[in-house]
Amino acid sequence: MTGLPILDISGLCKSYGAVRAVDGVDLHVDRGEICGLIGPNGSGKSTFFDCVTGLAKPSAGAVKLDGQDITGWSLNDIAREGRMLRSFQKTVVFSALDIEENLVIAGQMFTFPGILSTFGIGSAARNRVAALRERARELIKIAGLWDVRFQPAGKLSGGQQKLIQFASMLMPEPKLILLDEPMAGINPKLIERVVDSIRLANTSFGVSFLIIEHNIDVVTSLCKRVVVLDQGRKLAEGTPDDIVQNQAVREAYLGG
Amino acid sequence: MTPAELTATTTGRDLRVPFGIALIALACIAPLFLGNYPLHAIIIALIFLLPAHGLNLLLGYTGLLSLAQAAFFGIGAYTSALLAVHFGTPFYVNFLAAGLMAGAIALPLGIPALRLRATSFVMCTLGFVIIGQAIAKNWISLTRGDMGLAAIPKPWFALGPASFTVSGTVSFYYLVLAIAAIATLVAYLIVRSPAGRNMIAIRENETLAESVGIPTWYYKLVVFMISAAFAGLGGSLYAHYLTVVSPLTFQMYYSTTMLIIVLGGGAGTISGVIFGSLLFVGLTEALRVAPELRMIAYGFFLLGLVFWFPSGFAPLIARFWSFLERRK
Repeated sequence: MTGLPILDISGLCKSYGAVRAVDGVDLHVDRGEICGLIGPNGSGKSTFFDCVTGLAKPSAGAVKLDGQDITGWSLNDIAREGRMLRSFQKTVVFSALDIEENLVIAGQMFTFPGILSTFGIGSAARNRVAALRERARELIKIAGLWDVRFQPAGKLSGGQQKLIQFASMLMPEPKLILLDEPMAGINPKLIERVVDSIRLANTSFGVSFLIIEHNIDVVTSLCKRVVVLDQGRKLAEGTPDDIVQNQAVREAYLGG
Repeated sequence: MTPAELTATTTGRDLRVPFGIALIALACIAPLFLGNYPLHAIIIALIFLLPAHGLNLLLGYTGLLSLAQAAFFGIGAYTSALLAVHFGTPFYVNFLAAGLMAGAIALPLGIPALRLRATSFVMCTLGFVIIGQAIAKNWISLTRGDMGLAAIPKPWFALGPASFTVSGTVSFYYLVLAIAAIATLVAYLIVRSPAGRNMIAIRENETLAESVGIPTWYYKLVVFMISAAFAGLGGSLYAHYLTVVSPLTFQMYYSTTMLIIVLGGGAGTISGVIFGSLLFVGLTEALRVAPELRMIAYGFFLLGLVFWFPSGFAPLIARFWSFLERRK
């Protein structure tokens, strides 16, 4: 099994009426890999993500996670497995709750065996929550959010919210995380911290990543392999160096 | 522990608990200095506290506005009344049956209704009340229609050969007080459980909740059923207290009263709902001294509430706690 890619997508299509937003894309992410997905605005990157993570139903094609066919599963079906999680372009946190609560919520469904067991008040339920709290605190420390952990998440800056979102995704110990523009709208100082967190999650927790990102420096420093989308099709694939040199990519995306 | 954590826990131990105990003690000795009429008003308030707790779980914690509480209140009242009148079963059987029946009926009603989006869901729950009333009016062989069911016995308990009937206002007051206290405890435990945290997550952001693996739809259904069960239990007490039920038990006015209790008291807080039910039900009963002006005064009171306390009295209660804390 270890030879298999963690995520294997073949011939993925999504049409809205006559518009083919995603048009027959093949893509795979290897175990332990950080793969980049770039392309101009409107090239279908986010639609592609939505189809893979169940927020939209693909019109054709197959999505395999860890060798299992998950094509057409809903966002919640996939999320409940805890193997593949995604972030959203517009950062979302439970804004009225503090950071620790945000992280505990993000881990709860993966430690409780069923819905009814979450209504439990006995020591079993309390121990589970205590373990979650422990892990949450560890991740809060790693993310560098310890000093603001009692503040409502909504009161924090956009960059800090990105870090919360990222830490939340690590709660269920996933195998693969899909990040939709993790650096958009955060200040340059925090970019470094987000990059470090991604790298740390990759090396210490063994999480694979597929990352949509416009910041080409971040993509080159993080990813060993980059896929370029343009008008719903795969335009190129290769190492960051190959991509930057590629004539077609320069014309379509990098601006000559 | 950090200083912030320390103060948080000490306030929890040092102020709220003794205050709560004082309130319970006061409630226990209330019949010594209150007349029958004020006691009657408190009984009604405590009866309404049950459906209000249910609605608070649904609206205050899960973020679902429902007007169906009166329908489940009515279902509970009729279930208890029919059992008592036809089979002469003891009170606790009727009472539990009312909660189970309301919760069970909420399942087939909730499955389609919860598929609807916000506004449509509210309209749908409003429909349940109207349908409930229509059934109570027209299924005459069962409900006796507009005549209603009368002579429902006062609550009686049977244990082997011994039996005990709760007849007077004072003894009924203690019965309702005990049940309201248990219901409050149950609501508190639900809210503090991991499920309560998931409910808050659904209220805060449903899509995000789904993306962290919370099966939002099932939670909404379960909470809808729990809230219906709370309403059904309230309806049972109502039937046994007034000893009559009629199709008027299913009325929109009750749903709005429960809504006012939750929103006015402070949605998403347990203490707010207790405060709300005592204040609003107590107020409508107290205003009976001026029947002509009653609803007008009530209306002005609500208007004032909306202007001065748009999120109910809960922030005021919170400020009261922090005031006490600073004084210490």
